[in-house]
Amino acid sequence: MQELLERKKGLHRKILIVDDEFIEREMLGNMLNSLYEIEYAEDGEKALDTIKQEKTKLSLVILDLHMPNLDGYSLLEILHSDPELRRIPVIVLTAEKEAEVKSLQLGAADFITKPYEVPEVVQARVLHSIELAENSVIIHETERDELTGLFHKEFFFEYGRILDDRNENMPMDAMVIDINRFHLVNELYGRDFGDQVLKTLGKSIHEFVNATGGLACRSDSNCFYVYIPHQENLNEVLSAQIEKIDSTFTEPKIHIRVGAYSDDGSFVNIEQRFDCARLACGRLSKAYETSYGFYSAELHDIELHSEHLINDMDRALAEKQFKVYYQPKYNIEGDTPRLCSAEALIRWFHPTYGMVSPGEFISLFEDKGLIHKLDRYVWNEAAAQIKAWKDKYGVSVPVSVNVSRVDVFDPLLGDTMQEIVTNNGLEAKDLLLEITESAYTDNSQQIVDTVMALRNRGFKIEMDDFGSGYSSLNMLTSLPIDALKLDMKFIRNICNNKKDCGLVEIMIKIADLLEVPIIAEGVETREQMELLKGIGCEIIQGYYFSKPVPPEEFEKYIQA
Amino acid sequence: MISIETLKNYGANVEEGLTRCMNNESFYLMLVNKVLSDNKIDQLEQAINNKNLDEAFEIAHALKGMYANLSLDPITKPVVEMTELLRNRSDVDYSALINEAQAQFAKLKEL
Repeated sequence: MQELLERKKGLHRKILIVDDEFIEREMLGNMLNSLYEIEYAEDGEKALDTIKQEKTKLSLVILDLHMPNLDGYSLLEILHSDPELRRIPVIVLTAEKEAEVKSLQLGAADFITKPYEVPEVVQARVLHSIELAENSVIIHETERDELTGLFHKEFFFEYGRILDDRNENMPMDAMVIDINRFHLVNELYGRDFGDQVLKTLGKSIHEFVNATGGLACRSDSNCFYVYIPHQENLNEVLSAQIEKIDSTFTEPKIHIRVGAYSDDGSFVNIEQRFDCARLACGRLSKAYETSYGFYSAELHDIELHSEHLINDMDRALAEKQFKVYYQPKYNIEGDTPRLCSAEALIRWFHPTYGMVSPGEFISLFEDKGLIHKLDRYVWNEAAAQIKAWKDKYGVSVPVSVNVSRVDVFDPLLGDTMQEIVTNNGLEAKDLLLEITESAYTDNSQQIVDTVMALRNRGFKIEMDDFGSGYSSLNMLTSLPIDALKLDMKFIRNICNNKKDCGLVEIMIKIADLLEVPIIAEGVETREQMELLKGIGCEIIQGYYFSKPVPPEEFEKYIQA
Repeated sequence: MISIETLKNYGANVEEGLTRCMNNESFYLMLVNKVLSDNKIDQLEQAINNKNLDEAFEIAHALKGMYANLSLDPITKPVVEMTELLRNRSDVDYSALINEAQAQFAKLKEL
């Protein structure tokens, strides 16, 4: 390619004229030597030597068929069967019609008849053949990914569209193949190894497509698209193919995931089919296993629903379709439980879908990077509510709100929080901030710094879902926290599972050691409450006292 | 001495031959002289006399190409006829044709 561009740029093209007759060589050379650099060979053998030596520099070979020592046909055959030499176009010199057919079959680009036509015609034929060959090299190299030899995405979709147009209504299957945790492969084993993996996978895909017909491309760094005529037994074809690929990568083990759309007539164009395959691929786990999955209408509905929720979020925030509910937390240390704080929990009253469960939208918004908007909404609502209760009842009910993982990375988090409490005439200690345990392990230094800064401003930090993440015990002692919230799962079986109960006791001891209170969530029965109280748990939240309720309803607990 | 004029008088289609030579007269004349300085036509006669029709075809074919490209029409004509006969390895009497070609060649050499 480089040589080609050099040649094109400088228009410095070299032509080899092969003819045993001096007159014909010279006459042709004389027609072309003002336009090209010309080399001559008197027979096939000498020509082959020159071609091999100058293979990257030759733009064209003009070849006589009748020659001693290796005739033109034999030379054509040799050139055509050599992948490196095949790219050099050959124009055959001939006086006979029947020679033209044979030469064409052997890969000749064009003919110059003898006696020669006027120079303008010869020159035009020569230029045409050269440009055609150069353009085809350029197209070949630009349409394909250098590493894998598969198409680039743009060409893939263009050719796919052409294929669809020419074979109207032909059912086509679409597949998206992705390598799990590829960045780690590069990081752990080096980029060269990563490239090797891509090459190997590309080769498998190439062979697969060669067998089925169709097209394949490398879509981006570690993702491949395959578009093939519909296979009745795609499931089996795919599982066999995946098994084959899987067995190629042994040490280290590479895992892929394949999302497929098996044509069922619901979609007719390549873009839609790949949307489906991508969707199926996106649903697969990126874990340490090879997996594949098919697009289905249900999957589509789920995706569509998610898409609606995402699109509706801003409007829902503006129209206050989100309502903050409050679940009381009771201190059970004394004889009678005493309301000590509440947790703010969000509910979405969607104009079309009715009440949407937080389970449906929280993780969705987290994935799409939208959760910070919702968090801020809750912080503001909760702060306003604390203030309202303070004004109405003269008491301060601290409310805990969720601080998401992404919020921790916001350098303005402290300022935002401060602003919210100040604007509502509150103190920092009125707002309790819950940060999930797993966030601590993701990026411990960042979170320690953030939490320190928040505590310096007077905010109280609760570690949420304690016991579900992977806090290292030595890290716990250095963490700046004000309370541990036990993960609900421990409470569920606490009464009939000795081990769960034992674990909770241990966690309470850890809280004691850290000199912070422990809060048990998800407490539903008196039995659970008594047991927790017995082993030293101080604060309890759950249906035993109350489900999360709207603020108006919550007021009865304040008044009690 | 051979020149554009003498070639014209001989019956060559000089204009056509010159066109193939990018109208370079001295180049054209150089090529014509080159043709006249070789003894291929004798080799052709020899091969025909020896009934070596394969070799004869190769030579006739080559001569035809040279003469035709230079538009030396009077000599091209018998050579073309011989080439077509030899292409099929026809075992006919070539003497009239070869004599005609030799005569034309001699005529050219005398220019």
